[in-house]
Amino acid sequence: MHIPDGFLATPVWATLDVTAAPVVGYLARRAQRGLEQSKVPLLGVMGAFVFAAQMINFPVGMGTSGHLVGAALLAYTLGPAAAGVVLTAILAVQALVFQDGGILALGANVINMAIVGMLAGYLPYSLWGAGRWRRQAIFLGGFLSLLTSAVLALSELLLSGVAMPAAVLRISLGLFVISAVLEGAITLAIIQALASINPDFLRQPRSDGARTLGWIGVAAIFLAVAGVAIASAYPDGIQKLADATGISSQAKTLLRTPLADYQLGTMHSVWVRKAGAGLAGLSLIYGALLLGGKLLARKRGA
Amino acid sequence: MHHVVLDRWSRGGSALHRRDARAKTIAVLVFLIALGTAQRAFLPLSLFYLGILAAAILAAGLPIVAALKRAAVVLPFTAVFAAISLAAGEPMRAAALVGKSYLSALAVLVLVSTTPLPELLGGLERMGVPRYLLMVAQFLYRYLFVISEEAQHMRAALQAKSGTLKRTLWDRAKFGAAGRALGVLFARSYAHAEGIHQAMLARGFQGHFLTLSGRAFGRADAFFVAAALVIVVGARAAVEAWI
Repeated sequence: MHIPDGFLATPVWATLDVTAAPVVGYLARRAQRGLEQSKVPLLGVMGAFVFAAQMINFPVGMGTSGHLVGAALLAYTLGPAAAGVVLTAILAVQALVFQDGGILALGANVINMAIVGMLAGYLPYSLWGAGRWRRQAIFLGGFLSLLTSAVLALSELLLSGVAMPAAVLRISLGLFVISAVLEGAITLAIIQALASINPDFLRQPRSDGARTLGWIGVAAIFLAVAGVAIASAYPDGIQKLADATGISSQAKTLLRTPLADYQLGTMHSVWVRKAGAGLAGLSLIYGALLLGGKLLARKRGA
Repeated sequence: MHHVVLDRWSRGGSALHRRDARAKTIAVLVFLIALGTAQRAFLPLSLFYLGILAAAILAAGLPIVAALKRAAVVLPFTAVFAAISLAAGEPMRAAALVGKSYLSALAVLVLVSTTPLPELLGGLERMGVPRYLLMVAQFLYRYLFVISEEAQHMRAALQAKSGTLKRTLWDRAKFGAAGRALGVLFARSYAHAEGIHQAMLARGFQGHFLTLSGRAFGRADAFFVAAALVIVVGARAAVEAWI
């Protein structure tokens, strides 16, 4: 699900852009360090592969079919840092050339799919990919990568005040789960084929330490998903809970602020200041990132 | 393939085509921010902005109907949410969603159809986007067509071998066949990448692409950015002051 421009409230897309930029910079640096020079064309061609893979349909039955999304598959074959770079490049090309996903919303899409979704997909593989539960881990990775991205996108839209009744929310969550199962199955089918062609295509999962961290990650993802599911099923329940614990007032202002932005009809020149402040903020952030990058590069060069 | 159209459009010679990629990128970002943060008097403003973009398309000598149609690819996604907003009793929000997403897509379309992609990515590099990421994007775009064509061949072969879809609930054999086809496509792409790298080394690749255009950010580009800023922000201020 690629969010186009015009859907996210300004604080939401601006925050996510500012968050995504340094993370992508870090991933690019890491991928560059971890791979030899010959891997640059490889990453590009693998991005083209993910694009092209969407032409091969996987029959699901009843005359319908699905296709690969690919975040988990890339993480298993190229490693998480390179996969993040490839996925970011895919999203950028989709936004620019195919008008699929927005430019201001690119940070949101990158966070949802190329970073968090990809990491969620890599997690089970890095934990159990070597052992007895390898197949299950591969399936779970595909499943989690898609579900996490979709749920993140949904929650960003909700936070931006895009109206979604509980019924619609439930239906879309159901659809997400179905496509996530499909992504898991497709990922598993391709990985098995790859392993039979040449096992070296797959990165060996780390079997050392960091298990606790992995478990925490998995638990966090499940909590997030369950939280959204419960919230959509029982909106009143959340409200009551919030009233009871006294966080209601804060939560309300937090939830309503982006929404209220749309309805400020009476303020005439406020937006000039706001837009000015926004532009100034963006250029400040841009300057800071540029400076930081330059300094880092110089330090490395020295 | 339809995106070849974009390559042809972007190689025009109009004044808009000749502007530096950075100037056009900044102008489009200003446009997207001004549009994205607009709240009041959205209808007249969107009409005005549509006029600006249409004027830019005409000035660039692009086919206007085809361009307007191409930008409409965002509408199916938007329509779902617009319908939900309408059902929730928020017609203005529905209109804003449709208007903003369509105009944003159209603005980006004007940018990429007046700037060849290598030049656009080169401009982004000079604006501080990591070069490694842009090189991956560059390779991705270059080999998109090659790999897509192979995928099309494989799809044809797959259909020829296994016939049409059976209407069963879950056909394990066919699912596996599609998986193996993609496994083979992956392996072929991998082999392609190695060949590409060796060919590049043979031609003396130094680690970054050289572009032939050699354009610099000139006075005309500065004027273009200033004019875009005044028109886009001025239009919004004027519309919101009057209405």
